[in-house]
Amino acid sequence: MLKSNYEDLQQLDSILNSFIVLKTIPSLSIILNEPIKYFRKKTQTIAITGLDQIISDFEEKNAMSAVYVKCSGDLRIGVLWYLLEKESKPLVTKLLGKSHLKEFDSLAVSSISEIGNILTASIVNAISDDTGCKIWPSVPGFAVESLRTLLEAIASDFADQSNMLIASIVEFHGINSGIKLRMLLIQDPKEAKKLVA
Amino acid sequence: MDHTIEVKMGELVIINDDTTELKTFVGSCVAICLFDIKSKIAAMAHVMLPKKPNNMHHIQENEIGKFADMAFMHMINNMVSMGADPKTIQAKMAGGATIFSHEAETSLFNIGSRNISAIKQLLKDNGIMLVSEDTGENFGRWVRFNPNSGKMIIVSNLKKTLKII
Repeated sequence: MLKSNYEDLQQLDSILNSFIVLKTIPSLSIILNEPIKYFRKKTQTIAITGLDQIISDFEEKNAMSAVYVKCSGDLRIGVLWYLLEKESKPLVTKLLGKSHLKEFDSLAVSSISEIGNILTASIVNAISDDTGCKIWPSVPGFAVESLRTLLEAIASDFADQSNMLIASIVEFHGINSGIKLRMLLIQDPKEAKKLVA
Repeated sequence: MDHTIEVKMGELVIINDDTTELKTFVGSCVAICLFDIKSKIAAMAHVMLPKKPNNMHHIQENEIGKFADMAFMHMINNMVSMGADPKTIQAKMAGGATIFSHEAETSLFNIGSRNISAIKQLLKDNGIMLVSEDTGENFGRWVRFNPNSGKMIIVSNLKKTLKII
């Protein structure tokens, strides 16, 4: 079980990083039609009761547009994609090829959900190819809420088996557009060992 | 209130001090408060899931509130042992939101409504009156419970709403 083993966490971090560099960044770069910079926060083990430690003051006070994909099968993984609500309009405008967006309608929700879907698939497929694990992503769920609310909903998906979670956070920046998209990948420590085996 | 105790995800707190309030944050989870206004004994659990899995044998002290069934029995038994009258214990609850769209259409996601149903059934089975509730919807809530007045204050910072139930 991966709980506090520093080397295992480092190895997991490195594996996830390679998937992000090889698969996720090229996918996002194609979607946004621009080069992408990315910043990793270290992969860490967190108690469910302390999950709010990863919320910054900035994230506490601002609404986020978020897409959540819950993956089941040989590995349970939760992938949350989120960005500031006010930054989601420029993203959707770009995706839909419009000069401006009047309102955040169902087409906007659908397009942003699809990005979450595609980017999650880029990681999940890489994990699946690397480990041989069968993983099935859910239909993406969309929300506009505080990160605290989003985290709480995701934690519930893992709470039936564990009181600890492994969290990996990555921030992607569109170099030309300045769009900042964040990814939070959550795993059960008991299952994460399949990735570092 | 002189003091505030924050009840974290999956935790449960019981107090017999009416100068202290209980506080938590819930989205799809449910804040269930049981209280006996006479003895001023009150409990708050941050319920994440309806039922403890059969294969989970070891529960840590800070996750007794995680599962509705386990939290409920722990609250009742301990409140009564502290002097609460089981006949006058009442309940209030908040939370159980549907955070992500598509949740309503798939059983994978609709944990909020399952939590609410499970708690209502437990209250019914144990003959405890649900005095009031602020449940459902699609947003997170800060919940504060005052054991002296029995009032629950519910605030959504993003929706800019405040309710007292």
